[in-house]
Amino acid sequence: MAELRLTMTAEARNVLTDLLRLIAPAAARVSVNRAKIPNSDAEVAAFWTETLSSQAAEEAHLLATAFANAKGEPAVILLKNDGQAFAFLRALSAVRIALRELVFADIPDSALESSELLDDESLPTEKRHALACYSCFGLLQQSLIQQLDPEAFD
Amino acid sequence: MGKPKIKPEIKTEKVPALASKWNVVVLNDPINLTGYVVMVFMNVLRIQRPLARKYMLQVHEEGRATVWTGERERAEMLALELQQWHLNALLEKDG
Repeated sequence: MAELRLTMTAEARNVLTDLLRLIAPAAARVSVNRAKIPNSDAEVAAFWTETLSSQAAEEAHLLATAFANAKGEPAVILLKNDGQAFAFLRALSAVRIALRELVFADIPDSALESSELLDDESLPTEKRHALACYSCFGLLQQSLIQQLDPEAFD
Repeated sequence: MGKPKIKPEIKTEKVPALASKWNVVVLNDPINLTGYVVMVFMNVLRIQRPLARKYMLQVHEEGRATVWTGERERAEMLALELQQWHLNALLEKDG
């Protein structure tokens, strides 16, 4: 795979980096808590939890580091291989799930799938800010997936 | 009445029950993008795009889809791998 370059404005990078500092550690915890782990066998359950937990921590670190190191205007994140690209995708997913569960759990699923929500002036500022970041992370994912698999959204 | 001249070979054995089958089920969530889900199904389940897309649509429209059925150990590995991609996957005993 060729190197992938994710490009964004420095302002977007700053806003997303600030949010990631807050949410990335929680994202690892949320992704493990949310998982439906079979509990009939203690050994399997322990292995399962440990696997999810260590992967989530690694991905949270990867994401935070990538954004923190993306200097300049525009800010650029380089992903050197499939492994990095897939890990980055998974990490973005974990952060979006954490935002959903920790910041706007009260918003119905159907409303969350509608981008009109982002313009809702009735929402508190923090929630609108988090929703905008949630949407931005989704756009980054979409852009990355389209490079990895151009037919994925057909 | 005399004894039978042929000695029948009679014995009772325990036959192991057929191993149960397990389903890997994926539940809908409003967070993961459709293209992401298709890509994950193709990578984790090693299936072609049309089937991956079919499962994705089933999850989206019906709320859940059974994406794999078979022996428990493999089902556990697949469910774990799908969860590592943050899909809402779980194991269910078949039948």
